[in-house]
Amino acid sequence: MLELQRNVVFGQFVDTGSVIHRIDPRIKLAATFVTLVASFLIDDFLGFAVALALLALIQGVSRIPPGYLLRGSGFFLGFLVFVLVFQVLFYAGEVPESDYLWRWGILSISTEGIRAAGILGMRVVFLYYVTTMLLLTTSLVDLTNGLELVFGPLQRIKVPVNELVLVFVIAIKFVPIFIEEVERLARAQTARGVPFDEGGAIKRARRLGRLLVPIFIGGFARADVLTTAMNTRCYRGGRYRTKFRQMDTKPSDWLILALAVAWMVAAWLL
Amino acid sequence: MKLGEPPILELRNFRYTYLEDTPKANEAVRDVSFSIRRGERVAIVGPTHSGKSTIVDSFAHLLRLKEGQVFYEGEDIAVPGYDRASLRQKVGIVFQRPDSQIIEDVVGADVAFGPTAAGIPAEETRRRVEESVDALGLPYPDFRLRYVHALSGGQRRRVAIAGVIAMRTPVLVLDEPMAGLDPRGRRELLGLLHRLADDRDLTLVMCSASLGDASLLCDRVVVLSEVGRVIMDGPLSEVLRDADGLATLDVTLPEPVEGARELRKLFPDLPADILTEEELESELLERLGVA
Repeated sequence: MLELQRNVVFGQFVDTGSVIHRIDPRIKLAATFVTLVASFLIDDFLGFAVALALLALIQGVSRIPPGYLLRGSGFFLGFLVFVLVFQVLFYAGEVPESDYLWRWGILSISTEGIRAAGILGMRVVFLYYVTTMLLLTTSLVDLTNGLELVFGPLQRIKVPVNELVLVFVIAIKFVPIFIEEVERLARAQTARGVPFDEGGAIKRARRLGRLLVPIFIGGFARADVLTTAMNTRCYRGGRYRTKFRQMDTKPSDWLILALAVAWMVAAWLL
Repeated sequence: MKLGEPPILELRNFRYTYLEDTPKANEAVRDVSFSIRRGERVAIVGPTHSGKSTIVDSFAHLLRLKEGQVFYEGEDIAVPGYDRASLRQKVGIVFQRPDSQIIEDVVGADVAFGPTAAGIPAEETRRRVEESVDALGLPYPDFRLRYVHALSGGQRRRVAIAGVIAMRTPVLVLDEPMAGLDPRGRRELLGLLHRLADDRDLTLVMCSASLGDASLLCDRVVVLSEVGRVIMDGPLSEVLRDADGLATLDVTLPEPVEGARELRKLFPDLPADILTEEELESELLERLGVA
């Protein structure tokens, strides 16, 4: 049937127990932040090629199968291409007359437009790749603890860090749950005579549309249950919580961060 | 069954792994073969993680099936071009959790979902809805417009079953139908299923971790071990004779059988084929010398 999880990789955690998985989450968050900054500084294809090579290396070491990642990103990449086509057609920048390849009213195709869309596409792919790799290799517990510690100092100026992190983590955690929910509803409807595995793309999309309301309602019900569960276990927010697992950053972790920074700087300057 | 007629449902070396070829692959069924003839009442019994629900889903092609494993009336349901929509009008499935089944938010509309999807005329659909809801002990005029979310767990289960019964499928598959019902609810549901199976000549398949529940409805039992492998298949009385073997699996035995197993420590000659309380009682009275 559907097995949507096969096709959505974002927000999943796959524990292969690799070196990447064992890096201190704070270091991973810092490295992610560095690469995010780099993605806005880098402005040419060579730079992105170098930067993406690091991610490919990380993926190799983390033993996340490339096929799994690609299949799980198909929908996202398809959508991106769709958007980029419009980006090219409606490119509004300054274009010398000789750069136009085709023109019709406000629609045009120019080398400059293609280049800009290409860079934008690389940037989005890069951002997606970085965050997906972070989520694939970091368990939610690690992610929460890491985020809380990284943003901890903000608590001094009365920012409710723990609560914000909790909301963020729950939001990510709900992605796979929602996918399961869609699968469940689709299975129910299929079993009762409305097939989700047949018909053209538009028919399928319309059927998926019918699931939105029950999923929305289900989401509220789930949030309600979660609140009750947290209350019964006396959750009172971050100030009162202590950590069972203390994180320690090994010298090798710092080395990895330094490597990531150096690599990104190199990609930027090249 | 006519001679030479293919079994209504058949599994041949059925194996299934969820999310196969991904890091999240999860083997549910390793190797299961058995067939079900028209009109049979079969229980699939096994501990949790024995693949019962996966087998149930396979019957209506709710999985990514491979060819050559699942057959309906002798036809491979996984070949491209097989009419899955009409298969699902023939094999009705009641899922383990009623909430996985109920689609609409009002009882009447939900029970009407299946027949409507099948293109049954409105008048006939209404009749079927009324009949099905009534049959499950939910008076139609009272429950027709009730919100499903406001019903109790037991009532929701009945609505789910009514929704499948209204489709009038020749095969009815129930996944743990007794779970979460009170004793009275169980009795009523059993009575109803017996009645339906008799009146409509249904083929009944039921999954359970409890041989006790299975023994009340079915006359044949397929026992699965963990990760989907058939370890016993035969008439109820035959399977129950190996009560000791069953006890090592995580399945619940019928109370009289379990009782007899314990009492055999006192009366080693107690026969192995005791199934009902009455049989146990008379055997015991005999041994105690009470006429």
